[in-house]
Amino acid sequence: MVEKISETRKSFDEALSKVTNPQSLEELRLKFLSKKGIVNQLFEDFKLTSKEEKKLIGQKLNDLKTYTQSKFNEFIQKLEKEYTVKKAASIDLTLPGKQKEIGSKHIITQTLDEIKNIFKGLGFSIYEGPELESDYNNFEALNFPTDHPARDMQDTFFINQNFLLRTHTSPVQIRLMKEKKPPIRAIMPGKVFRNEAVSAKSYCLFHQVEGLYVDTDVTFAELKGTLVAFIKQYFGSEIKYRFRASFFPFTEPSAEMDIWWQPKGKEGRWMEILGCGMVDPNVLINVGIDPEKYVGYAFGMGIERTTMRKYGIDDIRLLFDSDIRFLKQF
Amino acid sequence: MKISLQWLIDYVDLKDISINEIIDKITFAGLEVEEVVVQSDKYNNMVVGLVKEVKKHPNADKLSLCVVSDGESDYSVVCGAQNVAQDQKIAFAKVGSIIPSNGMKLEKVKIRGEVSTGMICSEFELELGDNHEGILVLDEKLKIGTPLADALGADDVILEVAITPNRCDALSHIGIARDLAAIFNRKIKFPEIQINESKKKSEDFAKVFIEDSVNCPRYVGKVVLGVKILESPDWLKKKLKSIGLRPINNVVDVTNFVLHEIGQPLHAFDLDKLHDNKIVVKGANESEKFSTLDSKDRELTSTDLMICDGEKSVAIAGIMGGENSEVTFTTKNILIESAFFNPSSIRRTAKRLGLSTDASYRFERGTDYDITAWAARRAAQLIQMTSGGEILYGEIDAYPNKIEKRKTILRFSRLMKVLGYSIPESTVENILTNLGFEIISKNNEQIELVIPSFRHDIEREIDIIEEVARIYGFEKIPNVQKISVTLEEKVDQSYFCDNLKNAMNSLSFYELVTNSLLNETISEKFGKPIKMLNPQSSEMSHLRTSLLPGMLQAISNNIKVNEKNLRFFEIGKVFELIHEKEIESFEDFKESEILLIAITGYEIQSEWYEKDIASDFFGLKGNVYALLNKSFPSIKFELTYNINHVNYEEAFTIMHNNKIIGYGGKVKMSVANLFDVSQEIFACEINIDELKKIEQPDRKFKDLLKFPKMVRDLAFVLDTEVESDKVIEVIKTASSNLLHQIKLFDIFQSDSLGKDKKSLAFQLEYFDETRTLKEDEVDKDFRNAIKEVEKTFKAQLRGI
Repeated sequence: MVEKISETRKSFDEALSKVTNPQSLEELRLKFLSKKGIVNQLFEDFKLTSKEEKKLIGQKLNDLKTYTQSKFNEFIQKLEKEYTVKKAASIDLTLPGKQKEIGSKHIITQTLDEIKNIFKGLGFSIYEGPELESDYNNFEALNFPTDHPARDMQDTFFINQNFLLRTHTSPVQIRLMKEKKPPIRAIMPGKVFRNEAVSAKSYCLFHQVEGLYVDTDVTFAELKGTLVAFIKQYFGSEIKYRFRASFFPFTEPSAEMDIWWQPKGKEGRWMEILGCGMVDPNVLINVGIDPEKYVGYAFGMGIERTTMRKYGIDDIRLLFDSDIRFLKQF
Repeated sequence: MKISLQWLIDYVDLKDISINEIIDKITFAGLEVEEVVVQSDKYNNMVVGLVKEVKKHPNADKLSLCVVSDGESDYSVVCGAQNVAQDQKIAFAKVGSIIPSNGMKLEKVKIRGEVSTGMICSEFELELGDNHEGILVLDEKLKIGTPLADALGADDVILEVAITPNRCDALSHIGIARDLAAIFNRKIKFPEIQINESKKKSEDFAKVFIEDSVNCPRYVGKVVLGVKILESPDWLKKKLKSIGLRPINNVVDVTNFVLHEIGQPLHAFDLDKLHDNKIVVKGANESEKFSTLDSKDRELTSTDLMICDGEKSVAIAGIMGGENSEVTFTTKNILIESAFFNPSSIRRTAKRLGLSTDASYRFERGTDYDITAWAARRAAQLIQMTSGGEILYGEIDAYPNKIEKRKTILRFSRLMKVLGYSIPESTVENILTNLGFEIISKNNEQIELVIPSFRHDIEREIDIIEEVARIYGFEKIPNVQKISVTLEEKVDQSYFCDNLKNAMNSLSFYELVTNSLLNETISEKFGKPIKMLNPQSSEMSHLRTSLLPGMLQAISNNIKVNEKNLRFFEIGKVFELIHEKEIESFEDFKESEILLIAITGYEIQSEWYEKDIASDFFGLKGNVYALLNKSFPSIKFELTYNINHVNYEEAFTIMHNNKIIGYGGKVKMSVANLFDVSQEIFACEINIDELKKIEQPDRKFKDLLKFPKMVRDLAFVLDTEVESDKVIEVIKTASSNLLHQIKLFDIFQSDSLGKDKKSLAFQLEYFDETRTLKEDEVDKDFRNAIKEVEKTFKAQLRGI
């Protein structure tokens, strides 16, 4: 047995010195080191030997195993080194990688995603609604009386007397409140339309995010706090803001929120960012919610202007012109 | 609306408050100051100058060469005006000043060889009047070197205030002053009227009859005899000019002044032109023609409210007077009209006529029905001040049904509930009193209020809460720092599309947002479009029935700038009529959400590692498959050569349980050509509403395969027209359930195979989840498959 061990060691050394290519290396591994190789076979034989013999050979056998395995590993490392040096000489690794491209969402979608994520974190659900709306949902139910100058605030594309392209996302409030009982806390993003001439400053459509919270203990102070939390997350905690009174037929009291906007090297100014207020009791009555028991707040913001300011885009038409040179920038 | 600060402080004392604070506070209270013009800024670098010398310009007949002194230095100035003369005091604009009329910055220049260091200005250039014939000659008593702004009395600050449509009461200087008084907790100063009235009574010189008291609840008339129509005095002209109005004559100017003072529109009739000295308020005759003051003929309908005399119409009520009764330089006796009209009646007529005046703007928002008599007296007083005349005693007050002021209550608990903050009761009372509310009773819980006649926007408790909050200041109501969230299921209806968008991005597609509005010709080529009643232009007159035209236009625009390899998608709504009839309900049209995917140009072009690969049918199909297969494995593609699709050739439909989910293929050249595109486009439209309805399979973990797979390759020679899908079908049917996957891995065509023949090579994968397969059972399965394919397609086994 002892002899067998030393013979094996000798023949392994000899075989290793003769290895010239990966195949002969693999042959060597199979012959000596694999499960059915010589070394393992010796261990099988070892099991059959007597106790005294075991004492004698155990250590030697273990040494053999360690020796052959480490010699083999050393040899592989040497081979790999040589191979790398050779390979480097024949391949130009500075060639560009095989091209892969990730597309992108439209910059408006990206902005909407950011806004949605912030409000989701504040416990809001997300609902959507149709773009072709009834005059009732878009105006009447939202407390815009017929023949009232408030209707002039939004230039409307009419389909006929009773149907129109929604001028704001607020009709989704109506749909939601009719469908669901309070508490309702949701934002409603979507496309809206205004009958305005297309120019660098205005387009016939844009996107809004509407917000609504109706419950028994909703307050104006909470509306303010929630919106401040939103703009701080969106613009950074240093953002300066103000609330000023305004008018929307569907909220009362109504307010607009401005933020202080100062692009580098330019004069700063207050910029309107959203309209908000407490849901007018008439609106709650119109959807069958008791305005004495429930209070609500609502807000709505345009996405385009905010996006354009944030990224320094000066012509709104660029957003809808689908120029790949524009799209690839975001 | 323009508000003059000088004018404003006639009604509320604001001397101790800075202009910036005034601007901030009224903006916070809902009267947004959009622009501030400091008049003196206009005349920076301009002074009163003295013309010391005037000579002819040596090189130009029409020009003169002047020496102008500003009291310190002399300047040589070239002047083109004929009226320039020695010793005149003139408006001298120095180098560096900006000429108000054209925004031009003055520089030292040479005019026909002579140096000119400044300019002698005309009235027009200073925006003081229309006269640009000659220079403005100033009062000779003025001191040389005085800043021009001081010399002109241009010491005012003009605010451009945006008034929201509810604030009918704020459309005047007193209206704004009232809010400021409430904000700064002080009292408003109403102008006092002291007039000398004669013994003759107004009602003996004119009569008023209201036939339509719904649309004209109150009509006050007051007569002034023997007026002289003159130019207005300077103070009046200055006030009107400061807010951008052009002075006309003392009577017209007074009516305009009162309108901007208190917000009550007035009209002055030439009393002698009123037949029978009579006013009748009634509806117009159908199709009546009427010439308004602006010399335009208007056609009326019977719903338009008119002011008539004994025989004819003399004014369109609340909108504009008529030429036939207007005040002219020969007018002697006048009737002042101060009325209250029904807002919606005025609005309907003004809107239909496309005629908006200062008067109609206020009437359609609602004026103060209680101020009519006061306003008439105020106008009479000012007319007498400016032109003498005899004010007749009293007013003719046609007021058939007295309007009762509304009342409401405010509960302090409700104020607290809505705002989330408690405002002291005394502050609440002060605010409301200063705004003109009358408190008729109060206790610890609530106050009862009379709503002033000028606040048509206030009716309910919530309206009072808003008044208190906006005057108190939103900024003083603290933001909550904590919110509670109800623990109910949250919904995200946009999640589905967001996921599709993410998947499209990872497949290298860019998202578009295109216009939903198209022109008639294009929209009709793609479906039954819905037409708009009032389009902005004929280019955007119809709603899109498909996203394809927007996509093709986008591709076309990009190709024009040499961007030819494109991968785009859009998710958007399309609209289609269901019946060929007017939309009366939501059932008459369909609004669907669509995903459109398009590829064109090359997928790979000019790369070192690969030959060019053009975008093609299979590129499209592969992307659509990648998008849908994981979530919707039950979806199938069906080729539809037999369906003559409008927009696609080499078309496929995407099916689920015999329902069409979408379709796509190569866009027909004739369709692409509509958008000047000649390169091949492959596109696919998927109906997201239908896709959402498909139940997604349960996502359950399946044990990983513990036994080896066995793989067999084979190739057949087949007729060219045999479809790979059909071969796969046959292999499947002929095999046992040990066969789990069939992959087509090679297609080969060559004359050596024979005419109209091709070779298809497949790899078949066998395994069993519970055991290791035996060679011979797989071989048996494999042979069955071969036999069946050979039989079905007369195929020849080419190799295994």
